[in-house]
Amino acid sequence: MNGSMPTGTDPRIDALIDASLRAISSATPDPGLDGRILTRLASERMNREAEAVRFPARFPLLARLGSSYRLPVRALGVLTSCLLAFVIVAGTVSHSRKLHSGETVAPPGLVLPTHGIGAASAVHPAAPASAPVPAGQGARGRATHRTGRARIAPHARKAPGVAVPAPSSDNSQN
Amino acid sequence: MSCFEGQLAGWVAPAHPTTVSTTRTIAALVAEYSTALYRVAFSVTRNAAEAEDAVQETFLRVLRHESRLGEIRDYRVWLVRIVWNIVLDKKRRAKTRPEGEDLADHARALPSSDRPADASVISSQEHARILALVDRLPAPEREALLLSAVEELTTAEIAGALGTTESSIRSRIFRARKELALLLEKEGIAR
Repeated sequence: MNGSMPTGTDPRIDALIDASLRAISSATPDPGLDGRILTRLASERMNREAEAVRFPARFPLLARLGSSYRLPVRALGVLTSCLLAFVIVAGTVSHSRKLHSGETVAPPGLVLPTHGIGAASAVHPAAPASAPVPAGQGARGRATHRTGRARIAPHARKAPGVAVPAPSSDNSQN
Repeated sequence: MSCFEGQLAGWVAPAHPTTVSTTRTIAALVAEYSTALYRVAFSVTRNAAEAEDAVQETFLRVLRHESRLGEIRDYRVWLVRIVWNIVLDKKRRAKTRPEGEDLADHARALPSSDRPADASVISSQEHARILALVDRLPAPEREALLLSAVEELTTAEIAGALGTTESSIRSRIFRARKELALLLEKEGIAR
């Protein structure tokens, strides 16, 4: 025993510790431990071999690939998943291209050119509809003349407290 | 042919030469180290069935990593480290069950009839109480002390299994014994 070193305390205590540790180390297994271990190892090995036999029966192509290139089963699984993912993505892209290769349908509000360049720059969006401007007494602060400089209507109704400059002589001449 | 050889012959049946070779190596490891590993496991679990389970689990892991057998320099340290990790893991998972509650296991760990000197020094109650005090030691000290109890292991091998130096192991054992002596004095076991 390696732990038998006196601590400088009561020798009876040292003896007790030594005896207790020795008791632990003298524990003996039930007879036939080696045999039981070997039996379990044999069973484990048989299970593994059975699993190895079952795998090629289910996936013969993958098993042949794995055995010829020394690939583990997990690597084969990852490879198969990648291949499947690629097939799915390629199939989706090909399908969507097939759908849009024929007539192009414009969304509402867009006018597509019927001749010439079919680029996006040639598309003219229709002008949005606007509400009519109220006229007459309802117009507030709107210019009365459509040409020249803008003027403030002299008789327009104003909200109280809003300072409006008086019309100058230049404005009255124009 | 003995029963052991019969089982070995049944186990080495696979025809592949490398498999046969590793199988023979593992069988030799079982024959040489199973008892020492059992004691290492028993020092922690203090339960015969759990200790045997831990030893079997150790060799199952060896079987799973049989391709690495050639790289191992010291089989004893390697196996002790495996079984040590297994029993500590089991102990962590099964905190609810008190250690050594089985009377048969107490009897198994008690001084055997071929050690009359020990029997006169320690009674079963004292032994149980000392083991309870060992469990109260800090983990590094407790682990070094328990492994030091296994006669088959040298200080260097314990250091290898615990991943530290020999001097560290010696000081841990010293501290553990000192602490244990203090606890024993406090408990009044020595009187």
